[in-house]
Amino acid sequence: MRELELYYGPQHLGMVGNFSITLNVEGDRIKKATANPGYLHRGFEKLMECRTWMQNFPLVCRINVVEPDHIELIYSMGVEKLAGIEVPEKGKYIRSIYLELARVASHLFGLWAYSNMLGFDTVANWAMYHRDLILDLFEELTGARVYHIYIRPGGVRRDFPDGFEDKIIETLHTIGGKIPDYNSTFFDNRLFKKRTKGIGKLDRENAKKMGAVGHAIRATGMKYDIRKIEPYAAYDQVEWDVPTRKGGDAYSRLLTIRDEMIESVHMIFKLINKMPKKGTVYTKTPNPFKWKIPEGDAYVRCESSRGELGLYIVSDGGKKPYRAHFRTPSYSHGLTILENILAGEDIADVGNIMMSLYVVAPEIDR
Amino acid sequence: MNDLKQKIEMAFDSIDINIPEDNRMIINISKDGVISILSYLKNAGYEHLALISCVDLINENEFELVYIVSAYMKRDDEFHDREKQNIIIKTRISRKKTRFMTVINIFENAEPYEREIYELFGINFQGHPRLKPLFLEIEYEMPPFRKNFDTRKFVDDMFGNIPEIEGH
Amino acid sequence: MDRNKLIKWIKTPAKMGNKYSLHAVYFCTGCGIIEIPPTITTRWDAERFGVTPAATPRQANLFLITGYVSLKTLKSIIRTYEQMPEPKYTVGFGSCPINGGMYWDSYNTIKHLDKYIPVDGWIAGCMPRPEAIFIAVTHLWKMIDNDMADGYKKYRNNYDQYRANQEKVLGSLDWPPLFK
Ligand code: SF4
Repeated sequence: MRELELYYGPQHLGMVGNFSITLNVEGDRIKKATANPGYLHRGFEKLMECRTWMQNFPLVCRINVVEPDHIELIYSMGVEKLAGIEVPEKGKYIRSIYLELARVASHLFGLWAYSNMLGFDTVANWAMYHRDLILDLFEELTGARVYHIYIRPGGVRRDFPDGFEDKIIETLHTIGGKIPDYNSTFFDNRLFKKRTKGIGKLDRENAKKMGAVGHAIRATGMKYDIRKIEPYAAYDQVEWDVPTRKGGDAYSRLLTIRDEMIESVHMIFKLINKMPKKGTVYTKTPNPFKWKIPEGDAYVRCESSRGELGLYIVSDGGKKPYRAHFRTPSYSHGLTILENILAGEDIADVGNIMMSLYVVAPEIDR
Repeated sequence: MNDLKQKIEMAFDSIDINIPEDNRMIINISKDGVISILSYLKNAGYEHLALISCVDLINENEFELVYIVSAYMKRDDEFHDREKQNIIIKTRISRKKTRFMTVINIFENAEPYEREIYELFGINFQGHPRLKPLFLEIEYEMPPFRKNFDTRKFVDDMFGNIPEIEGH
Repeated sequence: MDRNKLIKWIKTPAKMGNKYSLHAVYFCTGCGIIEIPPTITTRWDAERFGVTPAATPRQANLFLITGYVSLKTLKSIIRTYEQMPEPKYTVGFGSCPINGGMYWDSYNTIKHLDKYIPVDGWIAGCMPRPEAIFIAVTHLWKMIDNDMADGYKKYRNNYDQYRANQEKVLGSLDWPPLFK
């Protein structure tokens, strides 16, 4: 059969985000896939060098649209480490609760994209609606739906408003109560299983070799989670477990995501119960216009909903960062792993596999 | 960490290791030693390449390449100290002769990182199978992440004098 | 159907048809795309306004530019725009296409989208809320009624200028001019 070159994206119905893959196909089979990123390259790290430490906050959160909160966190962690700032106890709890909410919202967005791709429109509508409920919480807390700029060096911007904890609990009960429905319509559905089982297989050896992190490696059975390995915020204060699966295919990855979402909901309940009632939520930092950070470099990392997120940051003792480099989980997922596991699959499964790896294009391009 | 430090110091001479805080180790090495130390660390179990970065030290007329490696877990559900550790390997190359060796043979996911550094800093990785542009659409007069590339001036020059559409 | 509009329907059926069936191209150009899924699903339900995503540009007449436009994206935006059949309407969503927004000093994003393709309306904000899309859509209706949404005519009449601007930033384009 003749080999054809097929352009998948950036304007394509099966593509979530501004990303493109060039496929060499023979019939319906993919022979070779070449990722073609760069549609969203803005040169963030260069722009950061021209702005002061505080000015960078509105900028960095735009690196990942789907969950800007972890990017804020990692940048704050970097600044805190360089400047030697401590976070007060209550600030840590609020950070954890906020980040877990962001994780649930982001997973729901992923669920929307995934079920939309497989043709489960009902589930897609549910997921989007439930995500919106969480965005309403964010709006009340921070004033913005998507880009919150809530975490700052030394803690968070403001305390929870009165009765906010109850609202979180109520919202999460609404979402949690829907999980049996999600299961019966989607995760236990025969069609879903047929479309995902054995698709996009990534075994342990290859996953390690190609730098898989996050749910991609957890779906092969390893409990690799930075929240456990190097706890930050208040993740070491409560009991929780890392959900894993064995299969390593799209099905296991999706179920890992679902289990993670449920685990996050439980974790938020525990964190709210244990959160100190009184106390400050942030440490005072110097005047942002004059703030100089001592010379040095640091590497910090955290677990975003896609996997290990890192930041290598260098200061030359001035008002602006000298160099910052984000290590984003989608980078190896979207460029190395995707290219490798697409070979041999069907064209119909490209979007499916890409979403199961949770590739977000702006995170790759930065 | 200290055991590892001793072991590395035994195996390599002329190497500068310090441990600034728990779980972070910084290794400064000359550019010939990078490949051997990376493969040494990989064999010692640090098989996850987290990041390859580059810093333009324009005052010293050098580029600093930074490799950050860490370890996956040994057992699926036991947490050890080893996964906590991040090892930062730094090496310097001259800003004039921007050539270096690729590390794809050791870490497969180094490929896009090296391509990115090639594009944004102009460092040529020898032995890399496809050193093609990754992100950029047009050619800039100088790789844009270098410190002497002034983006504001570039923006003024390039986008500032594009005329409005007139007439209708 | 609204009885008062009956006369309008009889007099200008094409205009009314265009107005109430805006098919938006499925193209995620920037971070503004994150507000499109809530808009087209149950909570805001854009289909009440006749706005629905279309798979290919050949069946679409509304192009929502959702966010910053890097040079590589600009190329695909131009190609997509040129593939759409006339009449077609463009709306810039967010501050970035208007004047560069927070990437005003980035070397890889363009600052004023209307210098490269015609834009009929803008939605300001970073990022605008979903409601803003509906306000924009109702404004667009008015503009279509009054023959003011004529970006595509402008593109045809001033094609030389547009093409020259496009080539200024992208180098020579590898497809032939749309209009001679
Ligand atoms: S205007 Fe703001 S939200 Fe919209 S694309 Fe630009 S930075 Fe993103």
